[in-house]
Amino acid sequence: MAVTEQPRGPRLGSWLYDKLFHNYVWRSVFRSGYPDTPRNQMLAIATNVFLHLHPTRLHKTHVKITHTYCLGGITFFFFLALTVTGVMLMFYYVPGVDRAYSDIAALETNVRFGMLMRNLHRWMAHGMVITVFLHMMRVFYTGAYKPPREFNWVVGVILLVLTLLLSFTGYLLPWDQLAIWAVTVGTNMIGSAPLLGGETRYFLIGGFEVGDAALIRFYTLHVIGLPLLAAIFMAVHFWRVRRDGGLARPL
Amino acid sequence: MAVDAQAVARGDVAARPRREREQELLVWPDLVFIEFIAAVVFTVTFFVLSVALNAPLLNRANLNITPNPSKAPWYFMNLQELLLHMHPALAGVIVPTIALLLLAALPYLDRKAEGQGVYFGTPNAVKITLFSAAFAAVFTAGLILYDQGRHVNVVTNIAQHVDKDWEWPTVLAPFQNVRAIQTGWEWEIPVPEGVQVGSGEHDGELNWPQDFEHVPMPFNGTSGPDWMQWDKPDFLPGWMQALYWYDLNLNLPAFVVELLIPVALMVGLPAALLYLLRRLGWLYGVHDAAIALFTGFISVYVVLTIIGAGFRGAGQDLVLPWDVPRID
Repeated sequence: MAVTEQPRGPRLGSWLYDKLFHNYVWRSVFRSGYPDTPRNQMLAIATNVFLHLHPTRLHKTHVKITHTYCLGGITFFFFLALTVTGVMLMFYYVPGVDRAYSDIAALETNVRFGMLMRNLHRWMAHGMVITVFLHMMRVFYTGAYKPPREFNWVVGVILLVLTLLLSFTGYLLPWDQLAIWAVTVGTNMIGSAPLLGGETRYFLIGGFEVGDAALIRFYTLHVIGLPLLAAIFMAVHFWRVRRDGGLARPL
Repeated sequence: MAVDAQAVARGDVAARPRREREQELLVWPDLVFIEFIAAVVFTVTFFVLSVALNAPLLNRANLNITPNPSKAPWYFMNLQELLLHMHPALAGVIVPTIALLLLAALPYLDRKAEGQGVYFGTPNAVKITLFSAAFAAVFTAGLILYDQGRHVNVVTNIAQHVDKDWEWPTVLAPFQNVRAIQTGWEWEIPVPEGVQVGSGEHDGELNWPQDFEHVPMPFNGTSGPDWMQWDKPDFLPGWMQALYWYDLNLNLPAFVVELLIPVALMVGLPAALLYLLRRLGWLYGVHDAAIALFTGFISVYVVLTIIGAGFRGAGQDLVLPWDVPRID
């Protein structure tokens, strides 16, 4: 094809573009320009620390919304957004029986956007439990637990348990009647185990009833222990999706 | 179309042509774009929800004031519902543990690779799913209503229209609810003269339930002839004494009500579901069985959660959702 377009002289727009994206600092951050060839687009995925858990290509049926309903991805968004809102809540919250409740009450009235952050954190926590379940159902009904993805299903079950534990440990932190009695009911169930039930319950809540020790234990598990574990298993989960050949396809 | 690998090896069926590159998309930009849009929609949705709806905050925690009803978080309310119907160790620990282990073991039980990548990958999958969901939901709700004695209320109401003084007949006493086998049922069998039953005194007959509440277990160190008796293991630490097979007596009526019947139902009903699907001619192979059992599990989970969360009022009584007291 003949070249029809004549080379144009410098204009303000391209001058600005050049100054913004072709300078020394920008190039030190983003080593290449916008990926607009298939090779560069694959490299953009494979060489980016945040994107490299993706495969570089995927089957065209897999981008149909009804194939996955984005449920696994949405669950991951929940985790990220819960981390962000959770960190914000941590600035205003002290996990002690004397302070916890008044901190939450103050968060709702005295802190700008405090109520919004708490609402987001709570509704997203419920949402995450729901989407984890729906994601599990989607994977099951598409037979995606079948070979070679057996182990990733097991990792998924572990993540389901971690999600429930994350939600349950967070439930206690507002230190209101809903929190303490839900956790009392929940830990009493554990206490009824046929072997070492009472001991397990004592170990979990650090006493015979839900108090200061239980609050600090649940808080520590909620803000660092369980999220770390969940992040590790999530990394394995996503990596295995890619290593096992992307989403399941009919044989 | 799914192609059986062994059939391909035998040469019966042509192997599927290798997938073509034109069937594939690049993750950048196609998938990354979808993920970005999903993230934006998600963020906006939850900001709108959180502006509109405030998270609950009740009164400050107080262990001296027990709200009635006290409820676990909603995703554990199914277990709390189970607690009302069976032994707490079974409901709170054993059933969820076994359920999770079975869930994790699923891909090692259903190993055939066929039927993946599409929704409901076997010919009868949709029928099996709908049937199993309905089967599990109906039986779960039915059993809860039975254990609450709702059939007694219904029958009594109807019968009292005919005969004002009608009462639930004594002969049906054990069928008021499951617990009635232990608490509402009495019978005795005469014991012949000279036959010693157990070690204690008896009045010439065995009475249900009281004479069955301390059935000594074999070799428990306290019953039987002298050589079968030994001392309490005082040398062991306390928690190990609890594990030691010593002085164990079975409360048979409680065992039947809290363990035997629940376990029989939890094993028997899934088995009955599979048998029924087989007889209907819908069930072929392990994948179909997995669909039936997984669907049943989800259905039971949902029904128990809804009943536990929405239909349990003060004292864990079965009430309509608008009669569940609000706690503060």
